[in-house]
Amino acid sequence: MEIILIPIIAALVTAGLGKRSNVWISTLLSLIPLAVLYTYFTRFGVDNGWKTIFDLPWISDNIRFTLGFDGLTGMLLLLSNLMVPVIVMAGIRDDENRVKLTALTLFMQGALNGVFMAQDGLMFYIFWELALIPIYFITLTMSGENAFKITLRFFLYTFIGSLAMLASLLYLFLHTADYSFSFEALRAVELSRIESIWVGTGILLAFAVKIPLLPFHSWQADTYTHSPAAGSMLLSGIMLKMGLYGLLRWYLPLAPESIEFFQPWIIGLSVAGVLYGALIAIRQKDMKRLIAFSSLSHVALIAAGIFTLTAEGLEGGVLQMFVHGVNVIGLFLVVELIEKSTGTRLLGELGGLAKSNRSFMIFFMLLALGTVAVPFTNGFPGEFMLLKAVYMYNPNMALLAGLTIIFCAVYIFRMVQFSMFGEGKHEVSSLKWNEYVAFGILSVAVLLIGFVPQLFVDVVHSSILQIVTWVSEAKGVLS
Amino acid sequence: MIALFITFFAAVVILFLGLNKKESSFSNLAVVALLASSICSFCNAKGLCNFAILESWVPANMMLFGYSEHMFASLLAFISAVIVFAFRKNDNLGTDQLGLIMFSLCGAFMMIAYQHIVMLFLGIEVLSIPLYVLAGSKKESLASNEASLKYFLMGAFSTGIFLLGTAFIYGGTGSLELEMMGIKPSFMHAMEGMPIPTLINAGLILMSVGLLFKVAAAPFHFWAPDVYEGSPNRTTVFMATIVKITAFVAFNKLLSTFGGIHNTWSGWLCVLGMITIVWGNLAGLVQNGVKRTLAFSSIAHAGYLVMFLLILDESKTWILWYYGFAYAMASVLVFLISHQSATDKNPVGFDMFNGLSKRSPWVAFALVVGVLSMAGIPISAGFDAKFYLFSFAWQSSPWLVGVGLLGSAISIGYYFKFIKHAFLVKVEGDETAVEYNDKGLMILIAALLLLAGAMPWVLLKWVF
Repeated sequence: MEIILIPIIAALVTAGLGKRSNVWISTLLSLIPLAVLYTYFTRFGVDNGWKTIFDLPWISDNIRFTLGFDGLTGMLLLLSNLMVPVIVMAGIRDDENRVKLTALTLFMQGALNGVFMAQDGLMFYIFWELALIPIYFITLTMSGENAFKITLRFFLYTFIGSLAMLASLLYLFLHTADYSFSFEALRAVELSRIESIWVGTGILLAFAVKIPLLPFHSWQADTYTHSPAAGSMLLSGIMLKMGLYGLLRWYLPLAPESIEFFQPWIIGLSVAGVLYGALIAIRQKDMKRLIAFSSLSHVALIAAGIFTLTAEGLEGGVLQMFVHGVNVIGLFLVVELIEKSTGTRLLGELGGLAKSNRSFMIFFMLLALGTVAVPFTNGFPGEFMLLKAVYMYNPNMALLAGLTIIFCAVYIFRMVQFSMFGEGKHEVSSLKWNEYVAFGILSVAVLLIGFVPQLFVDVVHSSILQIVTWVSEAKGVLS
Repeated sequence: MIALFITFFAAVVILFLGLNKKESSFSNLAVVALLASSICSFCNAKGLCNFAILESWVPANMMLFGYSEHMFASLLAFISAVIVFAFRKNDNLGTDQLGLIMFSLCGAFMMIAYQHIVMLFLGIEVLSIPLYVLAGSKKESLASNEASLKYFLMGAFSTGIFLLGTAFIYGGTGSLELEMMGIKPSFMHAMEGMPIPTLINAGLILMSVGLLFKVAAAPFHFWAPDVYEGSPNRTTVFMATIVKITAFVAFNKLLSTFGGIHNTWSGWLCVLGMITIVWGNLAGLVQNGVKRTLAFSSIAHAGYLVMFLLILDESKTWILWYYGFAYAMASVLVFLISHQSATDKNPVGFDMFNGLSKRSPWVAFALVVGVLSMAGIPISAGFDAKFYLFSFAWQSSPWLVGVGLLGSAISIGYYFKFIKHAFLVKVEGDETAVEYNDKGLMILIAALLLLAGAMPWVLLKWVF
């Protein structure tokens, strides 16, 4: 509970302090939940299933305010509570929107923690919507000229998806024995194949929009490009993971009977998304847009890996969720700093930035290598596991999806080359302490996961095994 | 009963005090009296104190305050206290109006506790007559006069219809006591082949018309937008909250009596509910005035509450209590903010909220909470209220619930107009800034809505 309340209180404090708050205060406030998370890990551990750590009757005796903790939740909490400080520290420009943006980011941290911990379907839905509100305000009030149009499209996509999920959850709720929304009760509902496909469609729609899977992706590029950097970071780094987390935590256990129906479709769409995103990213001139499409490509591979339903695919997926969060936030941070110094983020107008700031170039290079999945950086183990899982499912698919490694190298190094090397008239100003710390955190994450990925995979191992067991049991019932 | 006594005597005292002093310095006294009646009824319901001596003054077959009646009385007195306090700086507030509001509330208490149709009729009249006056209390305003006349004519007419229904019911059942009234038709229904006399059916329909008029349900809602718009804001809030909740409590009691023959009336009531929801929300979409939009929103809420009448479960009155609480608090909040936002330049339109987030962020925050609660967005009391209502009504009237969900989705369209104007529309330079009084009260109500929305079950466990 603390981990949800503290960021929300921090957001109120920041809003209350107004202009008097500064980066120091907000950074310290955003770091408190990380300490709380550490106590969670030590107190509750990551094995023995999804333990309930907070429980209170909420809307009725059976619709409760229940929070759970296990390895999977812990991993996602680590991502959000490690990355929000980075965003608050370095990703928010010091202008008239700073206070508002910081407060909304901190609020978002609380809502996201709620999403990852909710053990009650209705609560999950509510936190899911609550996480949408700050980002809605960020894009609406701070993304320039077409704000209303962009926000409306983003809002409609996500809202319709969420409503479909709510309808599915309500359907399950009305079929529970004692009108309960708890995860266990919803999971215990026996569905026929057809029912399960409908329920699954509703749930998947919400997640497919958020991830986003191929036909539901058109909100993404514009929203990323025009939001302030913090908004893009929150959306791509953490919010997308809500969709992937939802797949693992809610879709697979609740509607396992429908998986066989959706599996080829989702994997097919994901692989198409992997290629589509990568190919479009190669052609982009705007750095933010490039990262947006690269993100589309990377996340689609995670979705494909998850839908192979093997322990390896799921574990690789979770690892890659964390890794993608780190890398994409790092890249957006790089772009933000470049734009802050030079006033542009178009590749054609940049160049030669490496000369002016060596340390900045090293950090950028490290994050780029991580994104390209060079061995001993964080991208490699996850991508390897995912591609292996897809290969076991269907070698041809893996062949297509594997092309992404080549494409990714092309567009990322193109971005590095055009911005950092060659001749140019711009310079990057030297890094301040907060930017050093932010890049430091990101670099440690890149190298640590690259060298000892097992450390992170072990955290989620038992949760993933549980999910895989549920899925295979449901398959056993059917066949 | 205690609430009725305190309110009545306080009203009389205030009226007499007002004879000597012309200025409006008695609002605080009224607020204290109303809060006292709220607390006393609450304590009485909880058994913390007992005013049995008062109960014996009125025969139990006329009026009876049980647990839920005390709770509703407590709620209504509390809402009235908030209304009187929030609008205490109303420009033309005399002690006579304060007295009238409190007398009207006495009528509301009679309506929620009645055991005899005569008491219900008296309650309706005591509730309505002060409101006819209050609607026209902005004497120099043409709209206010129009509202008063319209409300009076339509109200008097609907009361006549209600009385005719009463006569029919008396003819059909031979009694006007709640306990006796329902026995005969239920008995006849239970015996196979015995048709329900047309007299009872017709009587029930006519009485329902009278009550549906009071809650402003379609097709008896035509008075509402004009009257809401023309009346002074305080009266409008009173009509939109107290009158509506009271009429639903009374209506529920009446229909529960005839629960044995519910298949004769649930059909048309369900259809009326659907029409109300659809019409209220669709018409709300095309309104330009803030008060007119809120009027149609209140019509739509009456439509949702029709679901409650169809649940027919004595143990579920807490749903109406909670819904009434959430709806009334949000209404008071939004009306209060729009009342203070209105300027000479923008007296009625949504432009009055332009740039509110810049001018006064906390008021904008309160407005958002109030509007979202009305729309039923999660973590506001309005969401939980709708959730309870819809999920319990699912068994008895699934189609109405479906229409209700659709209506809620439509309603977001006009509720977001408030937010759009407060946050998105930029103001040009020399806009005269409006000074907001009672910011604390606004934040407090907003916090209450959020708190009750975040942990409704804690509140309900405590109350019911």
